[in-house]
Amino acid sequence: MGRFWAIFFMFSAFLAVALFVVAPDNGWWFPEDGRAHTSLGQKIDDLFYLILVITGVTFVGVQIALGYVLWRGAAAGQDPQAKSQFTHGSHTLEVIWTIVPSGILLFIALYQMDVWAHYRVRTMFPKKMEAVAEVTARQFEWRIRYPAHGKKLMPTPQPDDIYTVNDLHVPAGHPVSISLRSDDVQHSFFVPLLRVKQDAVPGLVIPVWFEVNDVGSYELTCAELCGWGHYKMKARVVAESDEDFEAWKSKTAKEQFDDGFKAETKEE
Amino acid sequence: MSTLTPALDQAGHGPEDHGHGHAEPHSLSLLYALPTFSRDHKVIGLQFLITTLLMLMVGGALALGVRWQLAFPWERMPILGDTVFAADGGQISPEAYTMLVTMHATVMIFLVIIPILAGAFGNLLIPLQIGADDMAFPTLNMLSYWFMWPAIFLFACSLGVMDWLLPFEALRIGGPDAGTAQGWTSYPLLSALAEAAPGSQKAQTYWLLGLTFIGFSSMMGSVNYLTTIINMRAPGMTLFRMPLTIWGMFITAILQAFALPVLTAAGFMLVFDRLPFSIHSCFFIPSGVVVNNAAPTVGGGQPLLWQHLFWFYSHPAVYIMLLPAMGMVSDMMSCMARKPVFGYKPMVYSMAAIAGLGFIVWGHHMFTSGMNPALGMTFMVSTIMIALPSAIKTFNWLGTMWGGRLQFNTVMLNCIAFVSLFVIGGLSGIFMAAVPVDIYIHDTYFIVAHFHYVLFGATLFGVFGATVFWFPKMFGRMMNETLGKIHFVLTFIGLNCTFYPMHLLGVAGFPRRYADPYHFPYLEHLLPLNQFITISALVMGFAQFILLANFFGSMFLGKKCGRNPWHANGLEWTAPSPPGHGNFDVAPVVYHGPYEYSSPLCTDKDYLPQTEYVPLTQRQAVAHVGH
Amino acid sequence: MSVIRTSIARCAVPLLLAALGCGKNPQAQFQWRDSTTELIPNASKAVQKTIVDHFGTPDELVAWDKLPVHYSRVTGTLAEAGASAEQFRIAWDPGFAPAELPKNNQLLWLSGANAASQQNVVNVDAAGLVTLEAPPNIWAPGDRVAVNFGDRMQLGRVVYMKNCHHCHGVAGDGNGPTAKFLTPKPRDYRLGYFKFTSTNSMTIKPTRDDLRSVIKYGIPGTYMPSFLLMKDEEVTAVIEYVRWLAMRGEMEKRLDDELTADYSLASIDASVKKAKDSGEKGASKSQLLKQANDDLKQYLAEDYPTTVNDTAEMVAESWTSADDPANVVTPSVPRVADTAESRARGRMIYLSDKAKCYTCHGPHGRGDGAATEDFWPKPGSQEKYANRGLHDFWGNPLSPRDLTKGQYRGGRRPIDLFRRVHAGIKGTPMPAFGGTVLKDEDIWDVVNYVMSLPFEAQSPSKAPAKALATTAQVEQ
Repeated sequence: MGRFWAIFFMFSAFLAVALFVVAPDNGWWFPEDGRAHTSLGQKIDDLFYLILVITGVTFVGVQIALGYVLWRGAAAGQDPQAKSQFTHGSHTLEVIWTIVPSGILLFIALYQMDVWAHYRVRTMFPKKMEAVAEVTARQFEWRIRYPAHGKKLMPTPQPDDIYTVNDLHVPAGHPVSISLRSDDVQHSFFVPLLRVKQDAVPGLVIPVWFEVNDVGSYELTCAELCGWGHYKMKARVVAESDEDFEAWKSKTAKEQFDDGFKAETKEE
Repeated sequence: MSTLTPALDQAGHGPEDHGHGHAEPHSLSLLYALPTFSRDHKVIGLQFLITTLLMLMVGGALALGVRWQLAFPWERMPILGDTVFAADGGQISPEAYTMLVTMHATVMIFLVIIPILAGAFGNLLIPLQIGADDMAFPTLNMLSYWFMWPAIFLFACSLGVMDWLLPFEALRIGGPDAGTAQGWTSYPLLSALAEAAPGSQKAQTYWLLGLTFIGFSSMMGSVNYLTTIINMRAPGMTLFRMPLTIWGMFITAILQAFALPVLTAAGFMLVFDRLPFSIHSCFFIPSGVVVNNAAPTVGGGQPLLWQHLFWFYSHPAVYIMLLPAMGMVSDMMSCMARKPVFGYKPMVYSMAAIAGLGFIVWGHHMFTSGMNPALGMTFMVSTIMIALPSAIKTFNWLGTMWGGRLQFNTVMLNCIAFVSLFVIGGLSGIFMAAVPVDIYIHDTYFIVAHFHYVLFGATLFGVFGATVFWFPKMFGRMMNETLGKIHFVLTFIGLNCTFYPMHLLGVAGFPRRYADPYHFPYLEHLLPLNQFITISALVMGFAQFILLANFFGSMFLGKKCGRNPWHANGLEWTAPSPPGHGNFDVAPVVYHGPYEYSSPLCTDKDYLPQTEYVPLTQRQAVAHVGH
Repeated sequence: MSVIRTSIARCAVPLLLAALGCGKNPQAQFQWRDSTTELIPNASKAVQKTIVDHFGTPDELVAWDKLPVHYSRVTGTLAEAGASAEQFRIAWDPGFAPAELPKNNQLLWLSGANAASQQNVVNVDAAGLVTLEAPPNIWAPGDRVAVNFGDRMQLGRVVYMKNCHHCHGVAGDGNGPTAKFLTPKPRDYRLGYFKFTSTNSMTIKPTRDDLRSVIKYGIPGTYMPSFLLMKDEEVTAVIEYVRWLAMRGEMEKRLDDELTADYSLASIDASVKKAKDSGEKGASKSQLLKQANDDLKQYLAEDYPTTVNDTAEMVAESWTSADDPANVVTPSVPRVADTAESRARGRMIYLSDKAKCYTCHGPHGRGDGAATEDFWPKPGSQEKYANRGLHDFWGNPLSPRDLTKGQYRGGRRPIDLFRRVHAGIKGTPMPAFGGTVLKDEDIWDVVNYVMSLPFEAQSPSKAPAKALATTAQVEQ
């Protein structure tokens, strides 16, 4: 009977590993093709896989050890003559399984420090970075303010600023930054495919930088509970070439300053 | 007053001083004392246990509401949809969903896990395992239980289901869709500004008051446990002869005592920020914020301050919700493997390290919050290191089982599940400790998977095992093995099928607290997986009725047993089942540690109770065996 | 269009919708107006029956052909026969050609001798060739047809229930479960007013494009969010559904208005009171009620059907007129150059007695004009509101916009502001200045001034508003 339980626990551990193996093919993995579309995002993915390997190996090892222990213990448990190993521990083993995990953990800790710094520490932001827009999160949408063509983004609104809602356009291929702020409660600027996340805190303006490698449209969601419409804050980040970006900005500016006067044509 | 509520005012006041040699207490004597204001720690422990088991079902029901919406979005929801939202076709509103999410977490954390570990098992076991006749402060102990009821009432008010009971319109919150919905983390400004969410109006105030009462209850408990453990141990019970359960309770009580005041203070600060007739503080509210077209805020505060204060408590809280279970599992595992705990002192030091490190890791909940990134680095290092003592403990549990004669009963199965599932929960924590990875998985279901594995997979399985293990001591009867095993299998399978896929959801970027994630194209394909999770959760949820049936049924129908049905070493097994007032009929004296199973010193049996004296000559004879 | 009306007028085609989800119980309900439930029971029943007959319930919608609603995505007119008896060539209505049809389709004859019959379709192509499973009984060129009749309404309902109803209510009454927590309240469509329109002041209703703008860009400063990323077909569908809800609500309201004077519980009570005061004998409540019921019976038999018909036509006409491009406000001159002189002129107009903007919006544009301190009467009565300040037609308190904030709920383009001034904001005290009070060039000056307000360094002194304002009431 005991052996049955040993197999029971091992089987569930096996299923756990198997699920991770089949997950990517079933679409239960990183969104879309599984790649991050920013260079820092790729570093995040690399780190994730490194930790996955380390924890995976540890998991398999521990479960095998557990299975072995249970199997042997089941046999001994059945045997009325058997006696348990009377031991209070092993100093050597304690030292080994303290030093080795510490080493692995410290390695993980130190390995990823510069990725984190590159993300967040202002002095380590890329030197050439274009401040593209101010993104204001509010209940329950993203209001975005761009500077006019050829102008710099100012901290306060300017008469010729260009406004969109739920539609952030950025040039691809070089580092850009947004100024993230909130009109009301906390929100969080989360673009899964770019591996970017930063809370928008009322009272603060937080710079968020990223460099999108590939042209495309990426979904923007909110990742901090902000009320009943937390799930409704669907928006997009459109990364396009510099020319397309400028063209889009000009077009949007023209629409924004449309005076509705039609010389001859009818269509509205 | 029943016979179980004596005036216990001095330590060491044993029953032999009473002079009335009464017979063994009736097996249901603890049960009969339940509705009273008893000051006997066993009755209080049982009161806690039954209350929290019932709260477990309430919390589970709220979770099933969450899961229903995620599996069948915007379809008719049973019960909630049929009552409050009947005119909308049974479809709940989004604010009701955020209420379900919030109250599920609140009930489970504050009304189930923390009280069941410290309140139920702490109360039951501490005096018995250290050889005391009751807690140091029995009246305080009684109050700590009864303070739970105002907390339950206030949380129920904040849920919106107590309006019918509240006498004034001004007190009513207007229904479950105006229930607290700001997350159990209750971040301002969502929770600070009444206009920010329906649940931020009156419900949030009730919630904060409920939190205060449950905090009082916990605080009273921890003061009691610390004093009792330090002062009232039986002769011979040195600190390093205490069972690991007691060490777990002791360290937990230290955590509780030092961390909880910060949460209470933060709670009061938030109440003052919120209440219109209060001092109108703005601890957490910056200036100029306009929400729902209300007047702009006066301001001067920092929303991040709440997060620091809240997590300063709530991170140690997660260890409060783990350490006692770890201790109990060690006790049970050692007994069922019939061998000593492997590495007793490392186990103690690990628990202390977890607790100590636990005070300096709170920032890992705030990596994306906008706090200073340098803090992110320091918190990251301490968080990664906290995996180390947990790993040491896991290896020691494996060592405890290794070479043992394992008894695969319900208790042991639950303990093995604890170890197995704790490994999963602990390893997934490493992903979050790595800050760049946390940028991606923060506020996704990866986090949900992690904490459910450690809180449900580890702690609750430990609790299930402990319930079965110490039930005979409480009632003099055994719980049914078959039902226990069925409950175990269903819960284990259900739990894994429910929470394991959530790791994958998290990797896919599935955000938390979304009433309708499928609003987003990149998440649409995850609906079938969510439906699978919901069905597993339903199975797991309903399986808990088996536990309740077993628990309550066995009180009356369980197989009768004596004092020590498990052949265990602890002091509690020398007392009658159930123990009467004063606990022990013979004042215990302790001669060795609690894990001397299969010791060469015991020749006729494979266990050596702590109170059994072994003559010096015999000890010297086997000294060369060593350990 | 008229062909449909005459042919199907007698047999409104019921539209069976599967209930959303698997629950049989409970059903979503269109809540009745208070004015309906407060009629005497027989009158209330009559109104309810009319509305249910012509509009149905949320789970069983009825498509009333009298209303200018695009119930289907694909409609057209039969042009000629095809190669066989089962084949036809159809001229699709512009913008209503088939695209991405599901696997199984059905054709519904909307007019002609075959009207209201439905047949399975074997094949449809965008060019207009349709092959049916079996030849129809009788048909003629000019017959109107629809493929998968009601699919747009169905989609609209699904989208509405998923995204909109929890604020706007199942019936579009602005009273969904979330509505009680919101400021300002969500729009109650049933009044028939929509605030931010491109149509002129004589045309009350918005165009479909106006509704599309609101859905796509939201209304900043309110809880109406932007659904920019909603699929186009879903937006189109929900616009039709919202228009239909508005028509339903307005029908109900107008029928109530017709009956309230004589057949409401309040009118019975008033009659009882009047009779008592004048000392009339034998005028008890039950007698008066019986008298009213008898009158009602006669009214229902004789005049009521015509009333229903006329009301429906009036509602339909008001919506159709919004579709006429001539009713859209288009400036006759391009925007006047945004110079300091233009803004100065605009400010003069703002402060003038001609426009009197300052009475509501305040001398510095902060929305603190004297009108916010007065007690205003309720529309259509002498009774005043209990609290100070302005109200919208729905009875909600309404502050004049603080123009210094740069928050423009109806859109921030110059043309949007032009339209607000020209046509006013329907349903609110913001009057229409176009065409009568102000010339287009004047309006542009005002627009330039208003758009400069958020960037002007505001002087800290607040001239007392009362000194400038008159006590004249704002025209409605």
